[in-house]
Amino acid sequence: MSAPALTVTVDGAAVEVPAGATVLDAARAAGRWVPTLCFDERQAPFGACRACLVGVEGAPAPLPACTTPCRDGMAIDTEDPAGRRVANAVVELVLSELPQAPGPDTELARVARRLGVGAPRWPGEQHAPEPADARHPYLAFQHELCISCGRCVRACDEVQGTFALTATGRGFHANVVAGLDEGFRASACVSCGACADTCPTDAITEVSLLALTATGSTNGGPS
Amino acid sequence: MTDDRSASTVTTTCGYCGVGCRLEAHTLDGGIASISPALDGPANEGHTCLKGRFAHRFARHRERLTTPLIREERRGPLRPASWDEAIERIAAELTRIRSAHGHDAIAGLASSRATNEDCYAMQRLMRAAIGTNNIDNCSRVCHSPTSYAMRKALGLSGATGSFSDFDHADAAILIGANPTDAHPVAGARIKQATLRGMRLVTIDPRRIELSDYGVLHLAPRPGTNAAVMLGIAHVLERDGFVDRDFVAARTEGFDELAALLPAYAPEAVEAISGVPAADVERAARIYGEAQEACVSWGLGVTEHKYGSEVVQLICNVALMTGKIGRRGSALLPLRGQNNVQGSSDMGALPDTFTGYQSVGDEQVARRFEAVYGRPIPREKGLTIPQMFDAAVAGELKAMYIFGEDVAQTDPDTAHVVHALESLEFLVCQDIFETETTKYADVILPASSFLEKSGTFTNAERRIQLVAPAIEPPGDAKTDFEIIKLVSAALGHELPWETPADAMVEIAALTPDFAGVTHARLGRGGLQWPVAADGADAPILYEQEFTRPGGKAHFAALPYKVPGDAADEEFPLILVTGRRLQHYNAGTMTRRTGNVELLDADVLEIHPDDAARLWISEGDRISVRSRVGRIELPAHVTDRIEPGHVFTTFHFPETRTNLLVGASADVNTSCPEYKVVAVDVRPLGEEPARVPALA
Repeated sequence: MSAPALTVTVDGAAVEVPAGATVLDAARAAGRWVPTLCFDERQAPFGACRACLVGVEGAPAPLPACTTPCRDGMAIDTEDPAGRRVANAVVELVLSELPQAPGPDTELARVARRLGVGAPRWPGEQHAPEPADARHPYLAFQHELCISCGRCVRACDEVQGTFALTATGRGFHANVVAGLDEGFRASACVSCGACADTCPTDAITEVSLLALTATGSTNGGPS
Repeated sequence: MTDDRSASTVTTTCGYCGVGCRLEAHTLDGGIASISPALDGPANEGHTCLKGRFAHRFARHRERLTTPLIREERRGPLRPASWDEAIERIAAELTRIRSAHGHDAIAGLASSRATNEDCYAMQRLMRAAIGTNNIDNCSRVCHSPTSYAMRKALGLSGATGSFSDFDHADAAILIGANPTDAHPVAGARIKQATLRGMRLVTIDPRRIELSDYGVLHLAPRPGTNAAVMLGIAHVLERDGFVDRDFVAARTEGFDELAALLPAYAPEAVEAISGVPAADVERAARIYGEAQEACVSWGLGVTEHKYGSEVVQLICNVALMTGKIGRRGSALLPLRGQNNVQGSSDMGALPDTFTGYQSVGDEQVARRFEAVYGRPIPREKGLTIPQMFDAAVAGELKAMYIFGEDVAQTDPDTAHVVHALESLEFLVCQDIFETETTKYADVILPASSFLEKSGTFTNAERRIQLVAPAIEPPGDAKTDFEIIKLVSAALGHELPWETPADAMVEIAALTPDFAGVTHARLGRGGLQWPVAADGADAPILYEQEFTRPGGKAHFAALPYKVPGDAADEEFPLILVTGRRLQHYNAGTMTRRTGNVELLDADVLEIHPDDAARLWISEGDRISVRSRVGRIELPAHVTDRIEPGHVFTTFHFPETRTNLLVGASADVNTSCPEYKVVAVDVRPLGEEPARVPALA
């Protein structure tokens, strides 16, 4: 009793996807790249970052690929100029808040490189660097690198089911904490590391990797 | 996480519990830099726990064995030796003992932590190079009752489905297992299923974490699982939940069971188990009303005097409702160790060759003899507890123990130590010195799962590839190489270059593994039985059962009292188990950052019992059973029912298994770790009587 398949075109190529597939699923099935920051295939689509905006024929404006379901016959343009402009601006704005460029191996740095986003041009406020919170034997917070994508919170909820992480603060001060901002050890954390695994910026990372994480001293953009 | 900070990344299979997470091991400068979960791992789907992900530092711990060690005389000091010297010593001693006392004076243990190929090589060494069926593995002390019972009831020794069946189930019963601690990734999957609406019934003397997510928790007295399962069967039958067509077409023996059920009305079950009658009724209805439902269990079912019978009673419940052989309706034993399934599949058992083919079957034995070129006895060998009894009796003279710390993990530690001391010669093959190696004459430095190639078989019968990410330290060798060396020195060359070659031989000798090759396993593995064309079997018994006539068998087994019971002198019942941060004997996890998260065994005790005994949180207390006594700190918690206490055996300084007696499963001699009558009191308070130590 498999659901009927839908046929959509991605950048001119027809691709068949199961009912319920998202535009992002279709793009990936067609082998096309769509930038994402808040998306993780292990979690339900969230649609927060707006990096995955694509053009859909007939739509008045670009749509987020990760949360838009496919319709039969839909024509998708993954390199829609308006969508890409927004994606570039999103990534550049995210980078502009960080006190230093994210490590070159982080997902954020890789997305920025692929989009060709260099050093941010925005002169706005940056998070103050602070020493890593390495009170846990394995998991470390580097709060100044948090971009509030929510992936760690959702990994803790939807993948592990421990609900130890919470989004806090608003606007520029949005961040993530364990428990009531008491560190991983004192929280309900079961040390599974799903948060570090999904984090696109090393705001949560492994203590043993801190020394290996190459970060620039100034915010010169990803190298 | 794709991580380019590492020099290379190797996809392998976790060596901790039986879930079988696929892992990406990232290496740097010859060590493990980091481990992340493989997104396409069928059992873990991009998730893993703190053991699989973080507890890898043991692999480069300074206490790793890096060279063979020899004792010139029994209990003398250890000194380093060359591989040649160590292997020659082993060959000379085993040959001498065999000549003087016969083949059956020697016994070997394969390891549920090692690969299928290691275990297969070990059983071939014992059967062909030594000439005895005295080969067993540590599944004896955990899931041998599951294997026995599932073969009897259904045909094959393994789960009928996969962990993903929880995603398709409307309800599930979880009995005698605490997966969020012991099988964390399966635990997370079950928890997510409950959050999506799966109705979970937990049955355990402790209120486990998943009980908080379920719709009903039953807390039977330890040792009364049989009564609860019979009570559930009673209600299912009485209230019309029996699938009569399924029972008629696909099973036999239902009438005998039905004749037994009137005696297990919920009120009668309440009297035996302490579970309120209304809760037995509700549990049965939740299971019966579900379209698809799973039953999952762990060592809280098996490690009892009648553990194998309870597994058969669990099978009964699935069979009478026809909830088997479909997506979402599976029987899923939670295997304790990474390769509990495989070590037994590989014939590291005293009564069976690979694929549970009987050693007494003339045709089978001849096939093995033809390949091995050696005569193999037709009589069953000794099980682990029988080996220790034989050693104490002076009949067993030598043991070759590979990857098991029997002096810490097996029951009745005093008896085990007596057995090891009684041997003339003991070889241990391990990655660290352990409680057991204290009695070894030769210690061979072996390899961890991060250093070897081969396959593990997880709790879903899924055979998955293990690939080396790093080299064994110093002069340590892989277990496969070591067993080959020893076998060759005994005059029986094992004819394989690599573990993949060994798998070719396994496949040729084992119908259930006919189509298994390392190349075919790929990234996702295969669930046996695997046909010659490579087709595997995610769901068993869709059409028929693997028994004579294709029919499943109902077991009409009444409840029987457990081997130990609380009395005036020993008023509390001790249950032992595992915690999230540590793994069994703790040989690996105690040598990682996990000790910062948990650094001692504690005794869980209910606030009412603690108050009566004048015990406060953190007090050091004495725990005394009929066979031994230990001291450890108390943890006062209402997770445990009054009358019961709980602890773990992760730390050798605690020596929890000194307390466990000789009571064991009647069919498989799996020890009764889960029911030990004890006396608990604050330290310094004199016990009324000094116990007679065995």
